[in-house]
Amino acid sequence: MRIVARIAIFLSLATVPAGAQNVDPKELLSPPADTWLTYHGTYNGQRHSQLTQITPENVGNLKQIWHFQATQQLKASPIVADGKIYVTLPDNLWAIDARTGKELWHHQHTKNNAFHIGHRGAAIYKDTVYLTTPDCHLIALSARNGEVKWDVLMADSGKGYWSTNAPLVIRNHVIVGVAGDFDNLPGLLRSFDAETGKPQWSFYSTPPPGQSEPRSGGATGGQMWNTGTYDPELNLMFVGTGNPTPVLNGGPRPGDNPWTCSIVSLNPDTGKLAWGFQVSPHDTHDWDAAEVPVLVDGDFNGQPRKMVLQASRNGYFFVLDRASGKSLLTKPFAAVNWSKGLDELGRPVPNPEKEPSRSGVLVAPDEGGATNFWPPSFDPKAGLFLVNAKDGYGIYFFKQADGAYGWAGADYGLAGRGSLRAINYQTGKIVWEHPYVRGGSSAGILTTESGLAITGDASGNLLAVRTSDGTSLWHENIGRMGGAPVTYELEGRQYLLVSGGDALYAYALR
Amino acid sequence: MKNVTGFSIILITGITILQAPPASGQQNSQPRPQRPQGQSPASRPRPKSAAPQTYSEDQVRDGEVRFGAQCGFCHGKDAAGGESGPDLTRSELIAQDSHGDKAGPVIRAGRPSAGMPAFSSLSADDLNVIVAFLHSQMDKFAQLGGGRRSVDPEDLATGNAAAGREYFNGEGKCSSCHSATGDLAGIGKRLQGLNLLRRFLYPSGNRGSNPSRATFLLASGQTVVAPVVAEDEFSVTVLDPLGARQTYQKSAVNVKIDDPLLAHFEQLGKYTDTDMHNVYTYLETLK
Repeated sequence: MRIVARIAIFLSLATVPAGAQNVDPKELLSPPADTWLTYHGTYNGQRHSQLTQITPENVGNLKQIWHFQATQQLKASPIVADGKIYVTLPDNLWAIDARTGKELWHHQHTKNNAFHIGHRGAAIYKDTVYLTTPDCHLIALSARNGEVKWDVLMADSGKGYWSTNAPLVIRNHVIVGVAGDFDNLPGLLRSFDAETGKPQWSFYSTPPPGQSEPRSGGATGGQMWNTGTYDPELNLMFVGTGNPTPVLNGGPRPGDNPWTCSIVSLNPDTGKLAWGFQVSPHDTHDWDAAEVPVLVDGDFNGQPRKMVLQASRNGYFFVLDRASGKSLLTKPFAAVNWSKGLDELGRPVPNPEKEPSRSGVLVAPDEGGATNFWPPSFDPKAGLFLVNAKDGYGIYFFKQADGAYGWAGADYGLAGRGSLRAINYQTGKIVWEHPYVRGGSSAGILTTESGLAITGDASGNLLAVRTSDGTSLWHENIGRMGGAPVTYELEGRQYLLVSGGDALYAYALR
Repeated sequence: MKNVTGFSIILITGITILQAPPASGQQNSQPRPQRPQGQSPASRPRPKSAAPQTYSEDQVRDGEVRFGAQCGFCHGKDAAGGESGPDLTRSELIAQDSHGDKAGPVIRAGRPSAGMPAFSSLSADDLNVIVAFLHSQMDKFAQLGGGRRSVDPEDLATGNAAAGREYFNGEGKCSSCHSATGDLAGIGKRLQGLNLLRRFLYPSGNRGSNPSRATFLLASGQTVVAPVVAEDEFSVTVLDPLGARQTYQKSAVNVKIDDPLLAHFEQLGKYTDTDMHNVYTYLETLK
């Protein structure tokens, strides 16, 4: 028995690709099947796996292999490298054995007083794992044992910044974002040297303190709190920016307020802006455009294109040419009533009558949005963009007494109905929808080459549907899914890793 | 799962015997739980702490810091309401709380149906100072009056009652389910301000209440109606005649579940802001 086991271990080690204990950043360009190396799995943000062991036919045979109990609701997408899983909560990072679910080591950051709203995940480079913290530290940890290699400050949490960010690693750049909606702070994205933690560049989506730029109209905000995507051919990264501040009071910040509520394209070596596209000019509803900018190469109206796709919190689905930043398509994918139509650039034009007012205005979507931080998925074979969407309505108020700092107004959600929607990216049409019974889902989506889509519904079910038509194939109630499912293959077995409530679960075929 | 289904069939029969009135078409057999007459905190006088309690300045200061870190994103750093959580300086729960006896359990268990997570691992000390901060903020805001993110009834008084009545009886089709002299008689007395506005737009109950009914069609051709307490895509939980919860797999029974709030939801996509304010002003006159 023991000899057999040893041989098995030997064989498995022999078949593990080079780089045990060491993730070469080149691997991020084409991650091996036994890994999930970045927040999105791949640089393009598609969250579409080539693994095909689990299929629509056998998905009913999935069983729980192990579970790992965390200490509060998980909102992270785990990463997997070298047989280890790294999963995060605010101030916490665990390394877990990918075969057994046993904790290998745990890093707990110093207790601090910044916002502890959630955490999206870790990143890895060679033998270093990175964690951002609520008080805006970026910490480099040894993948082997969790020892702190270095610890740098990304921003001043005393001013109202915090971080939930899963870093984006491109070559030797660790690119991190922060959040900060409750104070009038400029939107900040930074890059640090992966080896040393030395600052490399900063990109501001609104003018940094002490600088004015007439075009911004005096707006602050535009935080880049979600993880971006990267096109190695163009050497451009893409990231969504958050809402302007003051949030609900647009009066003191006239104009479109670039680059808030935008998709921006940056050179990852310099942080220089290549182009920006505002999905919500002059936002007054807190609709961050931080949702994942998904990169797709394919046909658009019979012409091959390099595109970026986003289902945005404001209820519109956008397709842009990602070399030029020019619009190819803008279509609503959920209930919207705030726009007068599209301008010549393909941007929705806000209807001033739907700006927050003293007596209140009824607005769709509500503040939580038609979608939010939870990642969508794109299945290139089906040509479908899958997103957990919500038709929602809220009432928005503003009066002068609410001021011009931070939130500056009040809003109340009324009702929302959620569904999993599949969008044809060439037409923006909703090909199918899978309605949820209660409210909306805050789960990310994974699609696989076998035609499966995995997500969590609004009622705490882990849900597998057929990608082509949205039919339910299998479910298991594990509690509300706050992160995104990932998959990997170890020793010939495909694992599905999902969060439900406070725990992380591994499934495989029985 | 098989067991549940087997048990279910017996219970359905039980309900039938006890109370299915077959062909009458009025099978609302089970009295539905009454929704509490809650009011939106922002539209009524500020509550005052029921039990006087004192905390040290240090506790309040520590509480502000802990609250800011754990709760501030949703409830605002000053507890007066934030991105998704209500203004706690107007919270009836905090007003009734004494040293965490009411607030503590809610903080620890969360309110999953309202999107509030559980803070089960919060230490007793942290909980205590957070409660200290909440009481201190409640007192502070009560002295200040107003409140910077409040919506006052006079802010909403912009509509036209006659136009609201016309919409209610006409285009809005409200009168197909509701009546100014029936279920809505005195509504303007029971609900005011933002609370009236929100409740007429979408009268979802407080936590956990669910006005849906499940209609089971039995093999015998009889139908059984039971109030729904929970539902997802795959199962439905109803109250049996004795008030116990019973869960049925939808695939194992023939069941239809009504959606009485659908008309309200669809209307949200149809109101103009003027309609909304007119109906509000009309309902306000029903005293």
